[in-house]
Order: sequence, then structure tokens, then C-alpha cells
Amino acid sequence: MATVANQVGTPAPTRQRSKGLSEKRLAVLMVSPSMILIALVAAWPVIYAIWLSLHQYSVRVAGLSRWVGVDNYWTSGLSNPDWRSALYHTLIFTVISVSLEVVIGLGMALAMHRAFRGQGLLRTVVLVPWAVLTVVTAVMWRTMFVSPYGFVNTVLGTHTVWLGQEPYALIIIILADVWKTSPFIALLLLAGLQIIPGDIYEAAKVDGATAWQRFVRITLPLLKPAILVALIFRTLDALRIFDLPYVLTQGTVGTSTLSTISQQTFATNRLYGEGSAQAILAFIIVMIVSFAYIRFIGGNIRGMTAE
Amino acid sequence: MRRGLGVAFLCAIVLAVTACGSSGSSSSSGGSSSSGGSSSGSSASVSGAKVLPASALNNPPKGTITYCTGKDTTGAAHYVVSQFNAAYGSQGYHANLVEFPASADQQRAQFIQRQQAKSGSCDVFSSDVIWTAEFSSQKWLYDLTPYVTANASKFIAAPLQTVHYGGKYWGVPQTSDAAFIYYKTGEAVPSTWQQVYTDAKKTGGIVYQGAPYEGLTCDFLELAFAAGGQVLSADGKKSAINSPQNLAALELMVNGIKNGSAPQSVTTYMEPETDQAFSSGKYGYMRNWTYAYAADGTGSLKGKIHAAPLPTFAGAGKASILGGHNSVISVYSKDPGLALKFADFFASPAQQKAQILKFSLAAVIPSVYKDPDVLKAVPYAPQLLQALTQAKARPVSPVYPQISQAIYTNVNNALAGRESPQAALKAADSQINSALSTF
Repeated sequence: MATVANQVGTPAPTRQRSKGLSEKRLAVLMVSPSMILIALVAAWPVIYAIWLSLHQYSVRVAGLSRWVGVDNYWTSGLSNPDWRSALYHTLIFTVISVSLEVVIGLGMALAMHRAFRGQGLLRTVVLVPWAVLTVVTAVMWRTMFVSPYGFVNTVLGTHTVWLGQEPYALIIIILADVWKTSPFIALLLLAGLQIIPGDIYEAAKVDGATAWQRFVRITLPLLKPAILVALIFRTLDALRIFDLPYVLTQGTVGTSTLSTISQQTFATNRLYGEGSAQAILAFIIVMIVSFAYIRFIGGNIRGMTAE
Repeated sequence: MRRGLGVAFLCAIVLAVTACGSSGSSSSSGGSSSSGGSSSGSSASVSGAKVLPASALNNPPKGTITYCTGKDTTGAAHYVVSQFNAAYGSQGYHANLVEFPASADQQRAQFIQRQQAKSGSCDVFSSDVIWTAEFSSQKWLYDLTPYVTANASKFIAAPLQTVHYGGKYWGVPQTSDAAFIYYKTGEAVPSTWQQVYTDAKKTGGIVYQGAPYEGLTCDFLELAFAAGGQVLSADGKKSAINSPQNLAALELMVNGIKNGSAPQSVTTYMEPETDQAFSSGKYGYMRNWTYAYAADGTGSLKGKIHAAPLPTFAGAGKASILGGHNSVISVYSKDPGLALKFADFFASPAQQKAQILKFSLAAVIPSVYKDPDVLKAVPYAPQLLQALTQAKARPVSPVYPQISQAIYTNVNNALAGRESPQAALKAADSQINSALSTF
């Protein structure tokens, strides 16, 4: 019985001993399991990808590889016109789709935030696109835009080859992404809206603020942390866009992205070194963008959370 | 401290997010084809691969092998496995079925992952005909030359070429495939491609697979090979795509879209869209694989469509591109003898007959096409045998995915009018040459 009690009570002595540990060492001890997990799950694949990107692996002879240093980054990345146009498409896609999503998502969140009959139903309906798998979304949009006798051409009375022409294909991918992920932003922003205390609005009303003033002076500033979180998540996601172009256009007709091109190189063509270099370049670009967020707008996040 | 934590947290997010991205791309993979062909005539050789003697299939150790194949949508794989177990179960031989995803890219990725892990979890794999060169040059397959040479006379020659690479045989043919020209009752039986395009203009048009993917490589090569063109030089070391023959073939396709013999939308069509368009009844002709006969012949067009082997290119020859699957045996299999027994069973006349009768899959042995039951149930059997006999292979190379990409991207650019046919072939030529110089 005594042993059992001892075993059950093992945390107790540790806790007593920990009184002897400095707070800092205790923090390190407690954080280390999750750090090890992150290292295994996140850091290791990245380090392995960097290792791969510094080599070339033969597609002819089994197991043959050679060290090429950073050559892959130049030949299949920065100096490669295909990669550069993929970067260009990715940036256009990201800027346009994320801007549209934030604006539309904010509108949806404001609409859902109001108390009215059928509010629950509206919230459910709005979330449906987000619940649909991206690949299913893509197949759906493909069917809608199939030419010449798809749904869209029938309604518009046109014979446009939507998915086979240059600006259209990318526009459709942007539309599909906006349709799918605006509800996600709406959900994040709705959560943000709900923690804004109602009495602030009432006080403003008493002071004679118009609806527009209340929106600009109260809602937007207090919603800023939520908007930034949504922006960061969506931007990082958008920079990695893969499934929509892969299903809709196989990454052709001006819709190649950083992810489709590295998938093509790595998996289809089995050029592991070159494909990894392209993936690492994408990783670096995502890194730069997220540091830019912290540097230029992130101060506000810290300011808000400190309050 | 707060600042440091914030940065660390963001790094963690970025790491997790991009790591997902890169592992996602490494787990998917592509040959992006539903069917294909490959053949001998390559200068490459694979040495040092393990050879499986033909006698291995006699009395192998008792046990169970695993047969890996793409998603069994028709039940064909379940059927052959249950037949094998019924025939040999009492002797202690069993087969299990493992289904991979429906997409060819994913099947290839799944198999490659297992082979890279040196896992014997797929003893027999149903390999698309275009993967032979790649798998065998990586030494992932047993060399089945002794078995195949002993049984060569049993098979139709063309499908057998799809398991041939570097002077050796790497698999046993399972099922084959070739394309047909489909046309509505009352149309003239097309004898040349030029005639198909001329007639198509009067009857709504011809639909085919013109989207930038493996299917377009097949559609283009059928015309190009018929016109006498080549993709690679005889020694396989240089591109031969930029030739007058290939240009003639590409110009026929491009002009077809320009003058309305084919709708512009074919530049976005894969097989399902082609089927859909043709079964709408608005188009006179369709190029598609044999499966479309069963798919379209039962709907609104029942009894109204005919299938013919692909026509001649005026002034030159005829060609079709081989599709289908082969049984390949993993070099990590623990019971390769039993695996060979399964591959042999799949290619037996009884099983081949069942595959074509029950599942419309083209048999790889000629005798099946003369079987009275088959002739009765599959009215296009003689045309199918003819199509398989005239079939040619896509270029066999470990860098085939890059070669195919160079072809379908540039041909699609020409079809959509983004490049002239001359410029498209020139671009394909330089891309193929750089693919061939891959390490």
C-alpha cells in the first residue's frame, strides 16, 4: 500500500524539489516536451528538405546522388522563368484573394453578429462552403465552368473556354477560394466581434456617434487583433495554394503556383533536390511575409494583448 | 519575454504550415495518366537486378501475397483475387487485395513510398504501362525475363513491349487498352485523320482530350506516330520531336480548332468531359479509350454509336497508343514465387476472358478475341484486337514524366493559340533535350 501511495504521489516530491529550481529552469523543463514535439514534427522535415535541396538525385541510377550546394536554388528557382511566373501568379492570387476575403468576411461577420430571427440558420448556411473539402469545391467549380455547355456558359449565353484562357483561369481560382474561405474569416471576426462589450456602443450612441463613426472608431480598432490573425492565417495559406489550381487547371494556363511547381518537380518528375529547393524558397518567402507582418503591424498585436 | 515568445510562436506556425506543404507535395506524385504505353528500343540497360526464374511459380512456399492496385471501381480486382483464392486456397496459397486511390498519380506515389521504404507490403503491383522504365531503373522490380521469354508466344506483341526495358522484361501484362474513333450511326467510316476532321466540321465537330496532361500526350502522339514522327532519336539520346511529320500532325489539330472541326473547349477536356460532350449528341466524332464504348453506348446514344480503330494519316501510316496495366513484382516481396503464380494466373485465358466479358478490360492474349462468347458480348472485339496490334508505345525513359510534360504543355499552347505549331515544337524540342540531360 505504501509503495502504491508512493508511486501515485511521485509528482509531489518533484514539486517539492522544484522549489530548489530556478523559475527559468522549470520553464525550460515544462516547455521542452512540446519543443521536442515541434522539432520532430516541424523542424526535422524542414531540415531534411534543406539537406535534399543541396543535392541532386539521379533519376537514372538507383541511389546515386551528388552534392551541388546552392545550385538548385538558382537553376530551378530564381533564374528559372517557370518558377518566376509561378511566384508571380502566387503573389497575385494571394493579394487579391486575401483582400476580397477579409472585406467579404467582415461583411458576413457583421451581418451574423446582429440579433435577428433566423440568425442561427444564417450562421450555419454561411459556413457550408468552409465545410466543403477544397478538392470537392474545385471539382464543383470545374463542372460549373466546363465549356461550352457548362452551367455558367448556359446562364450567360456564351461559349467562353473559361479554364483554358489566361486571365480567366486564375480569376476563377480566386473566386473559388474567396467563396470557400470567406466564411472562415467571418467566423474568426465574429468571435472578435462578440467580445467587444455592448456598453461601449451604448455610450457612443449616447454621445451622438453615427453608425459609421461607431464602426470606424469602435468596431474596427477593437477588431484589429482578430483581423490580423485572420490576415496572417489566410496569407500563409494563400501563399501555399495547391489544390484549386491542381484540380481546375493542373497548374497550367497562367495558374502555376509555388506549390504546384514544386509538386510537379519533386513528385511527378522525381527531381528531389530541385523540388526541395523550390519548396524551401517558398518556405523562405512565407517566412519573410510573416516577419513583415510582425515587424510592421505586429506591434499592434502585442499592444492589444498587453492591454 | 513577451516579444520573444510571440516571435517563437510565429516561427512555429510558419514551420508547421510549410512543413505540411512540403510533406504534402512529397506524398502526392504524378505520372498523371490513366493509361499509357512503353516499349523496347531503348539504349539504357539495368544491371544487377534480381532475376526470378520461371520455375519459381511451381510449388512456391505456402503463404499469402498482397496485390496492390488502384481503387477497384468495377470489381475487376476483387474478382481476380477471389478466383485465385478459390483455385489455390486449398493448397495453402492466398492473395489479399489492397486498394490504392483512384488517381494514377496517387497509385504511383503509394507504390514508390513503399519501395523507398524497402517494404514488401505490395508483392504484386498493378503498374501503369508507362512506369516500367522508372521502376526498373530504380531496381524496385524483379527481372521476369525467364518467365516472359518462355511464355512470349501467348501474348499480343504490343502489350508485351510495355514491360520491356533495357533489354529485359519486368512484368506480366494484365490488361491493355487502345483508343477508338467513335462516330454516330450514319456517319461515314473514317479512313484517314484528314477525313475525320473534314467530316467533323459538317457534323458538329470532334472531341478529344486536349487539356494539358498525359491524355493529350497520347492524343497528339497517335497522330504524330501515324504521320511518321518520333519523339526521341533512334539511340534515345536526343529529341526528334521537331520534325516535319510531327508538325503536319500538330497543324492538323491546330487548324481543326481554328476552322471549327473541333470545339475550342477541347483544350480543357480530359476523359470525363470528352464523354459528357459526346453523349450530349452535339458532336459527330470522339477520340477516346475503349471504356467509352460501354459508358456511352448504354446511355442516350445506345445503339447509335460505332467504334473504329484509329484511321490512317493521309500519305503515311496508322498508329494508336497503348494503355493498360501490368503485374510487376516487388523486389522486397517475401514470396516472389507465389507473386509470379498470381501474375501468371491473371494472364491465364480464363481470367482474361472474364476481364473483358465482365469488366470491358482489353485482354492481352489474342485467343480471347476469337472466343464465341466474347464475340457475342463485345461486338467491337475484332476492332479492339486490330487497334492493339497496330499500337505503338510512348517513349520509354526514366525521365518520361518530363518528356510528356514538354509535349502536352506545348501542344496545349498551340491548340489554344498561345504559340504557333512551329514555336511549340521548337520549345518542346529544347525541353525534351534538357530533360534527357537530367542527372
